[in-house]
Amino acid sequence: MSVFVDLNLSYTADNNRLRALIETAAHLGFSTVAINYVFEPTTKKKQEIPAPKPISALIDHLPIVQGRSRPITVLNRLTVVMSDSSHFRPNAAEYRGFDLLAVYPTTEKLFHSACMLLDIDIIVISVTEKLPFFFKRAPVNGAVDRGVVFEVCYSAAIRDSTMRRYTIANALSLMETCKGKSVILSSAAEKALELRGPYDVINLGRLFGLSDADAKEALSSTCRSVLLHAETRKTASGIVYTRRSCQEDSPQPDLCDAPAAKRPHLAE
Amino acid sequence: MSSGWRWRDLPSGVKFCGRKFSRKKSGTAMVRVKARYLLCELNVSDRTQLLLLDDRAVLAAVKTAVARIHGDYGAALCSMRFSIKYLNAHTGIVFLRFLRRAYKLLWSALPFITSIDARGHKIPCFLNCLHVGGTIRTCQKFLVRYNTQQLHRMLPKCRNEEEKQEVRKAILNCSLTKGNNEEFHIESESEEDEEAQS
Repeated sequence: MSVFVDLNLSYTADNNRLRALIETAAHLGFSTVAINYVFEPTTKKKQEIPAPKPISALIDHLPIVQGRSRPITVLNRLTVVMSDSSHFRPNAAEYRGFDLLAVYPTTEKLFHSACMLLDIDIIVISVTEKLPFFFKRAPVNGAVDRGVVFEVCYSAAIRDSTMRRYTIANALSLMETCKGKSVILSSAAEKALELRGPYDVINLGRLFGLSDADAKEALSSTCRSVLLHAETRKTASGIVYTRRSCQEDSPQPDLCDAPAAKRPHLAE
Repeated sequence: MSSGWRWRDLPSGVKFCGRKFSRKKSGTAMVRVKARYLLCELNVSDRTQLLLLDDRAVLAAVKTAVARIHGDYGAALCSMRFSIKYLNAHTGIVFLRFLRRAYKLLWSALPFITSIDARGHKIPCFLNCLHVGGTIRTCQKFLVRYNTQQLHRMLPKCRNEEEKQEVRKAILNCSLTKGNNEEFHIESESEEDEEAQS
């Protein structure tokens, strides 16, 4: 039995619903979940990037995972919907509060830059509309080499028949290009009843063109590599990690979460 | 199998794959008709609604979902040897029997079930597959183990000492020893379930 991970539970302001989501995920046997905050910048006015709520504020007592003796791990994740290249600001201080960083590119050019350049972990594949561009082999291979993964969400397919067609078509065309490797399947569930058990999702991967082994990897080991990739994002070249040790007279706790290795004046 | 190998070329009583095959007069080997049993759990938001379920409602829901996802081909496969073998309305456990050749195809339609119509009520729910087995017996063994695990999870949630004692007693009772006792054990677990829920 491997460790199953679901890296996309939609954030809702309703605390009770979020708690029900996390409890259901633990009951189904997911060891790690991520709460997804969506940030959609518009061209006109400047918007605030949502700040992640601390997990302890959401749920006071984390439920025990099914079949294990450990409580579930809950992470925060930010998805930036990109329709222009200026929407993603590298090294923005607001991004540092999140454990995982994802983008949802809407044009081919942005998809290319997301695969090759941006410092992110996950690229979200559209499931609610017809694919606006084709997946080319070069950027997809580049993303695979860099350790960036593609995400297919299945809860839209459960909700509606048209969405199901789009999800399956887009997923199949992605699998044709990346051959089932470095893909993750996640729920994007808003309600607890939209989650599915890990073995059901693995079998659902057959509809998306994944083989059994690839589908299992899409829920377990690929997700783990995403989490490790996200951790190295906070370090300098994945080697050095700096953290301010707790002093008694720490003047500004805000500075703690910006690692010294990543601060701009050190980059010169 | 390439060089014209046939079952009837085997000498009578030969052991193959650890199973002894006897031959009929006609020369065909006796092989059991194989199936796959899916042990599923019905997850609902409101546990009291589970009691409304009956096996015909679940059967209809599965058939509709398969027909919606896989069309006429799926519906045809779903009409062969498909049945609900067991339904526990207290714990929400369902045994589904599928044709072994096509169980993966039919299983891939199960996640798309979002509600079950039972006795005029629409119950929003989803099926979570716990175990896939080749025989009912392996599924049953798994279910006893799984239910024991559920009781262990329930133990810290008990409010008073009396409930705790009850659950502890139920955990000790969980075993699959004698042929006909399992039914009783599963039933007793489900009663415990109800107690802790209420």
